Amino acid sequence: MIETVQSRVAIIGTGNIGTDLCYRLIRDKRFEVIALVGRRSDSPGLDMFKDDVPNLFSNGIEGLTPILGSIQGVFDASSAYNHKQHWEVLETSNKWVIDLTPSKIGKPLVPALMNKVPTMSLQKKLSSNYSMVTCGGQSSAPLLCALASASVGIIDVEVSSSIAALSAGPATRLNIDPYIESTEELITLITGCKKVKAILVLNPSEPPVFMRTTVNISAKFCDLDRANTITQSLIKDVQKYVPGYELVVEPYLQSKNTVSATVKVKGAGFVLPEYAGNLDIINSAAVETAALHAGAMRIEKAI
Amino acid sequence: MTQAKLYDVTLRDGNHALRHTLSSNFVSEYCKKADESGVWAVEVGHGNGLGASSYLVGKSAESDKTLLKAAKDSLQKTKLAVHVIPGFATIKRDLIPAIDHGVDIFRIATHVSEADVSQKHIEFLANRGLTVHGVLMMSHMIDVQGLVREASLMKNYGASTVILMDSAGYFIPSDVAERVTAIRDSLDLEVGFHAHNNLGLGVGNALTAIHQGASVIDGASMGLGAGAGNAQLESIVAAGIRESSINLGVSNFLGLSTLVENTYQDKLPRTTSSSTQSGLAGVFSGYAPQVYAAAEEFGLDSKILWSEVASRKLVAGQESMIREIAQDLMNL
Repeated sequence: MIETVQSRVAIIGTGNIGTDLCYRLIRDKRFEVIALVGRRSDSPGLDMFKDDVPNLFSNGIEGLTPILGSIQGVFDASSAYNHKQHWEVLETSNKWVIDLTPSKIGKPLVPALMNKVPTMSLQKKLSSNYSMVTCGGQSSAPLLCALASASVGIIDVEVSSSIAALSAGPATRLNIDPYIESTEELITLITGCKKVKAILVLNPSEPPVFMRTTVNISAKFCDLDRANTITQSLIKDVQKYVPGYELVVEPYLQSKNTVSATVKVKGAGFVLPEYAGNLDIINSAAVETAALHAGAMRIEKAI
Repeated sequence: MTQAKLYDVTLRDGNHALRHTLSSNFVSEYCKKADESGVWAVEVGHGNGLGASSYLVGKSAESDKTLLKAAKDSLQKTKLAVHVIPGFATIKRDLIPAIDHGVDIFRIATHVSEADVSQKHIEFLANRGLTVHGVLMMSHMIDVQGLVREASLMKNYGASTVILMDSAGYFIPSDVAERVTAIRDSLDLEVGFHAHNNLGLGVGNALTAIHQGASVIDGASMGLGAGAGNAQLESIVAAGIRESSINLGVSNFLGLSTLVENTYQDKLPRTTSSSTQSGLAGVFSGYAPQVYAAAEEFGLDSKILWSEVASRKLVAGQESMIREIAQDLMNL
């Protein structure tokens, strides 16, 4: 009989992202949530899990430090600024980290593109740091990869996302420029193109809209059939960890040299509402990445 | 009566009507004439502002830099202004170069309920002592109380003026009066108004705003702007002269309108049955090209597509959804 080996983890951050992650990880047989870390004792996020998580800390990374020996990895859903300090502690303690902040410290990873983009592979060391980039990055990456690999002589690339205004918390609103910059860096990483643009539109309409991301790639030549085939296959790969990920406009020639395609992201509706597909895709990618990394580390150890 | 400052959006909103093909040659020619007219400011750029040239909303024929330089070199007295939408334009890539190009007035624009997205951009400019206006686009999509709340956010970030944009051309004069008055009464903030002509009310709404104490009034020569176009600048001036709310001569403005008329005869916006319908539905005027293109591609009646776009409550910047909506309609 095969015994499921669980990874023991901590979550830092008790906002929308952190609580949704905690909810998922508690229900995921691959993980055991040892600690949830916030910064305020009256945090409603901490209170939500008082019966499910053995260690609740309201004093940040300091609270977590004494029990670091009992965990293997950390999901950091705090802020870019705080992540820098957290990583200093976690790196020296040989913990793997999934960075859900826009700190850009970790290596960008989109699970569905593992080993399809040269730099997107598992880091085979204990202290690994993976960046989940942005929701626009996670949702566009499969389209970028598909359209780019069917194109020759890429001229420019654009990713535009619209999200429900209600799903954009204060941090997103304050950090719209870092969002754009991180997303643009990922576009370059995947397509190799330096002329890139990312756009984010917040839509306040009621009922809230699902996230949509459109990719446009202009190139000297694009094999549309091939773009379509690769797109369909990558969409299926993402759907394994984000069931609400859907291709709504198949790759088509938007103009003579420009191919365009659009995806829609519906959230799983755990703690966050279904329309918050933008938050869902980041969390789903985080859990998937952690599972892949932990699995690879176990194989490494066995060898 | 207070003298309103005239803010000319021909070379920015007009770029929607030109599908962003505005040339630096035309910018130079227009700005030289505008500088003689007494118009307070000229706004230049892509229809969706700085850094907006994109597949999503259309590529500019010439870069922001080229257009701004052409304008700056041709303006002595009149101020150079830009429209900036966070989410499209970033501080590093777009605002800092624009400061270097000598832009005098920065308008930071968000959808009417999302003013907090403008905080970093407004603070960055205000902290440098630059003139910053906050712009609330699609301002009909919120109640008056909400409008005042969003305007006060922009004021707190450092905006000296808040501009109410009737981006869909939906307002009737009483709507304009109520909103301008509400902001003037509750906030120590200058108010501006930007009209669209979908219901043929552009100039009337602009004058109403002046009567209620708005100090900045947007207009475009020949109304050159998105959808049914903006309030016609030369008509605002003529009517303003008659009621003594504007203290400028009309002849230079007529010269500007003739220049636009002669250059872009086939691009001049009009109030049509379709623009009337989009205005009544409260849909962003700038969607016209995408709506007509998708209607043609799928063989749909554009009026049906307009009403579906309205019922999905799209905000500006969601051009890519129009084709998807058309596709959905065909699959019904």
